[in-house]
Amino acid sequence: MSEPSPAGANGTIVAADELTRRYGQGEAAVEALAGVTVAFPAGRFAAIMGPSGSGKSTLMHLLAGLDRPSSGSVTLDGVELGTLDDTALTRWRRERVGFVFQTFNLLTTLDARENILLPLAIAGKRPDQDWFDRLIATVRIGDRLDHRPAELSGGQQQRVAIARALITRPAVVFADEPTGNLDSKASGEVLELLRRAVDELGQTVVMVTHDAHAAAQSDRLIALDDGRIVHDGEALDQAGILDLMKSLG
Amino acid sequence: MARVVLRGFAERKLRAALTAIAIVLGVALMSGTYILTDTINQSFSSIFAISNSNKSVIVTPNQPFGATATVQTKAIPSAVLAKVKTVPGVAYAAGAIFSLASIFDADGQRLNTAAPAFVGSTTPSRFESWATVTGHFPRQAGDIAIDQDAAQRYGLRLGDLLRVAGEARTGTFTLVGILQFAKSANFGGASVVLTTLPVARALAGEADTFDELDVAAAAGVSPAALRARVQAVLPSGFTARTASQQTAHETSDLESELGFVRTFLLIFAYVALFVGAFIIFNTFSITVAQRTRELGLLRALGATRGQLIRSVVAEGLLLGLGGAVLGLLLGIGVAPGLDQLFKSFGADLPDSGTVVETRTIVVSLVAGTTITVLAGLWPAVRASRVPPVAALREGVSLGEYPIRHSNVGRLARLAAGAIAVVAMVALGANVAGPIGAAVMLAIAIVVWVRPARRRLAPAGAALMRSTTRLVSLAVSWRGTFGRLARENTLRQPGRTAATAAALMIGVGLVTFAAIFAAGLKATINQAIDRSFAGNLIVDAANQSGSAAGIPAAIPGALRTVPGVRDVTAIAFTQAEVHGLSGKQSVTAINPRDFASVYRLDWDQGSDAVLAGLDGSGTVLAKNFADSHHYRVGSRLRMLTPSGRRITLTVRGIVTDNARLLGDLTITLGLARGPFAQTTDAVDFISFEPGARTAQVQPQVDALLNGRFPQTHSQTPAQFKASEANQVNSLLAFVSVLLALSIIVSLFGIVNTLVLSIFERTREIGMLRAIGTVRRQIRQMVRYESILIALIGGLLGIVLGIVAALILTATALARTGFIFTIPAGTLVAVLIAAGVAGIIAAAWPARRAARIDVLAALATE
Repeated sequence: MSEPSPAGANGTIVAADELTRRYGQGEAAVEALAGVTVAFPAGRFAAIMGPSGSGKSTLMHLLAGLDRPSSGSVTLDGVELGTLDDTALTRWRRERVGFVFQTFNLLTTLDARENILLPLAIAGKRPDQDWFDRLIATVRIGDRLDHRPAELSGGQQQRVAIARALITRPAVVFADEPTGNLDSKASGEVLELLRRAVDELGQTVVMVTHDAHAAAQSDRLIALDDGRIVHDGEALDQAGILDLMKSLG
Repeated sequence: MARVVLRGFAERKLRAALTAIAIVLGVALMSGTYILTDTINQSFSSIFAISNSNKSVIVTPNQPFGATATVQTKAIPSAVLAKVKTVPGVAYAAGAIFSLASIFDADGQRLNTAAPAFVGSTTPSRFESWATVTGHFPRQAGDIAIDQDAAQRYGLRLGDLLRVAGEARTGTFTLVGILQFAKSANFGGASVVLTTLPVARALAGEADTFDELDVAAAAGVSPAALRARVQAVLPSGFTARTASQQTAHETSDLESELGFVRTFLLIFAYVALFVGAFIIFNTFSITVAQRTRELGLLRALGATRGQLIRSVVAEGLLLGLGGAVLGLLLGIGVAPGLDQLFKSFGADLPDSGTVVETRTIVVSLVAGTTITVLAGLWPAVRASRVPPVAALREGVSLGEYPIRHSNVGRLARLAAGAIAVVAMVALGANVAGPIGAAVMLAIAIVVWVRPARRRLAPAGAALMRSTTRLVSLAVSWRGTFGRLARENTLRQPGRTAATAAALMIGVGLVTFAAIFAAGLKATINQAIDRSFAGNLIVDAANQSGSAAGIPAAIPGALRTVPGVRDVTAIAFTQAEVHGLSGKQSVTAINPRDFASVYRLDWDQGSDAVLAGLDGSGTVLAKNFADSHHYRVGSRLRMLTPSGRRITLTVRGIVTDNARLLGDLTITLGLARGPFAQTTDAVDFISFEPGARTAQVQPQVDALLNGRFPQTHSQTPAQFKASEANQVNSLLAFVSVLLALSIIVSLFGIVNTLVLSIFERTREIGMLRAIGTVRRQIRQMVRYESILIALIGGLLGIVLGIVAALILTATALARTGFIFTIPAGTLVAVLIAAGVAGIIAAAWPARRAARIDVLAALATE
């Protein structure tokens, strides 16, 4: 059911070609991803959905270069990741990819400002003050910059994490269940932020979620089941998504 | 990145402190050893400089075998002094005596038993380094003066009587003066009495000789020029040195003797550091495992593997450097304490402060830091293997992430490893000789040789499991919490193994020492039972001054005691046999009556050969003859301690179970002559038939007390007991030094417990929630600690036994060493290990019990 879409055409940022990923060996092997071909154009907000075990997280890990496929290839911003060794891949990732995690994953020993600037510190780069100020204003965390994660609410922590993901002006931001650990009010704020990152800051966002409300904020919806793409199309409203998910069982 | 490291460090202060202790103690012993030996060295160097300061040229006998105190060298004949006096440019020359002696007060109490004592002759005032505090220098035969320290310690006053037993004779004198040496109350800790020259000569048995000639130059004659002129008139076997040359010579002799003490102490410092390396390795491994998510996050955010390795190595560097600096400071702080310790043993070192050489600082810092960094390398590599997805997934185990190495990277790693190993071995060799090199190589193998690790890992895990099952019998009867403790111990077998291994090393070495000591005692006992056919043994009553021989006049005197049939003297000396390396041990015996008190197993020859031995022949020990292919009739050319070259013919080959006989056995007559050995080591007494020990021994002792108060007699049983005492005190000394490594390993147990409790916070919260009381939590932790300690103790004992067996089977194979397992001692060691486990658990157990239930359950 996949829609062939040559990598690089129409401003494609990330593309996967016939991706498979097996875990384990021999009879005990589990195929988490069974031949997935998909492309993500720049400046769009895509949602990947699917029931537990459908392979959506595996797909995201492979697209982001966090894991290596058993076969197939991933092209990220024009570079085929399989051709890179570990260090080159790490460098590419740190320049082109931003992450937002379900569990925020802030370093507890650093304050909010240091956490936001951490990717630049790792890369040994100086922050762009204008961009930093703009991000802070966008995520509305300016008054909490000196606080450590333990002193922030879940929503505030996730906003810091979004600023951290955007600080390097990545080619693409991957968000892994970004609202999974948040109440509905904080979820709404985070989704609105991701939306604005696409609309106002021109970023590309790929979000993995099983929250229909979250998926409804996206421009495009991809559904996975049993390691294959079962739906790829324009965004649906919440009711349409729920119907789709029910059909997958 | 640096900030992430520093922050992480600051957050884990406690862990850092506990881990650093592993390095601090080892480095403290290391720097303390250097500081102590350097201080002693400088102190004595200044003593030598002061003694020599007012002399232009000093003549002493050569010591072809170095400054080994157990070998006598020939003295300087009076004729040489007369000759020196005629040398142009000599303003004044005099001879002096300085000889080992024992000093007794009027009640017969021996003075200064912990350090050697000397009798010296007064010298003309221009050469005298001593100054009187009260009274005057000895002027006539009955006069004696003593150092101020001894006078104060024993409450001596002018007019008191003192007895002095020299190497030849004993005399009683009146105290006429109390002395200081260069404003110090004593002479580097030794007690010294001065008498007139003729008296000192008589006591030392040097009727017409001197130990040293002192020469003053006439005005306008340089010491160097005079030295050359004096040397020109000296017979061979004597050397003239200027005062500064003499000081340098004496200092370097001392240095080589101190070098042994230094190496001995450094071995224990390296053992402690080696044990510390285990703890650092373990702590870092646990920390890395606990930080998996954080490390994965850093990877996901773009940190390279190199950056992660560097961050963990930086942590190790910081910790190692911090620990080494603290250890160095502790060592400096310990030095005055060591000085006090020496004072309490009667060694008042001249005030020269604490000598901290640059070498001490460099070696301590480099060793502490290097060992920490190396121990942290493997955990660092593991840290870098954390896959980025670890930040997103729960329960990722390390090492699954497929890593692509470039060939260049692989080569670079290999080279770095090789360089690190070479550097370590070189450092070890530099600091502690071959032993240091071996220890470092062992560390390198543990750290670097991964194939060996892989192959050994399953066997190690199986050993861990079975050992744990065995020792858990000790706690399993305590019900649920005993079982929980066992399961906790087995949960991370690698971690338990590394923690227990640290303790295992210390316990293993203690076990090894204990087995060796027990074997030594058994061997001595058996040797005496088998070989000694006499009734009494006479030797020096005070072993600490063991350099002192016993007078050669004793046998003649004792033969007059009723009931005594034979008295035979035995002396020890050395020779350098031509064509062999090192020195050979030489035993001198009296051929006439030796066989009547001592049983030998002849390989070639018989007791008759021994009885017929003369100054041209020698009897060889079988081991020695076999290893160098000597036969009866072989001729051995050799150098004697007095510098003479002689040739002896082999007359027989013998096996001596008690190893009283050295490589070579010669006659006493030969020893007195070319070997210049004038004192004996021991005398054997045999009784007339029917004579009883209870009757004869008191009379023997009475005679010895009167004429040779520095000696005493012992029955074979008493002799065995006193030998056993010496072995025991040596064992105690070694155990005290090894205790340091054991203390270090206990901190390792504390560390592991604290970390694993931290890991199990949630589980402990659950246990508390379902009704476990704090006391039970403490109990569980305590049992776990006891298990780890018992595993370490048991494996250590096995390791010690195996090592001792190997040594017995190889190096000691033909020495007659009896392998004995001191079961009682080993059981005590195991119990002590368990108790140590309880102590180590005290604080972690309290921490575990204090965990708040609700907060624990909320922990991720």
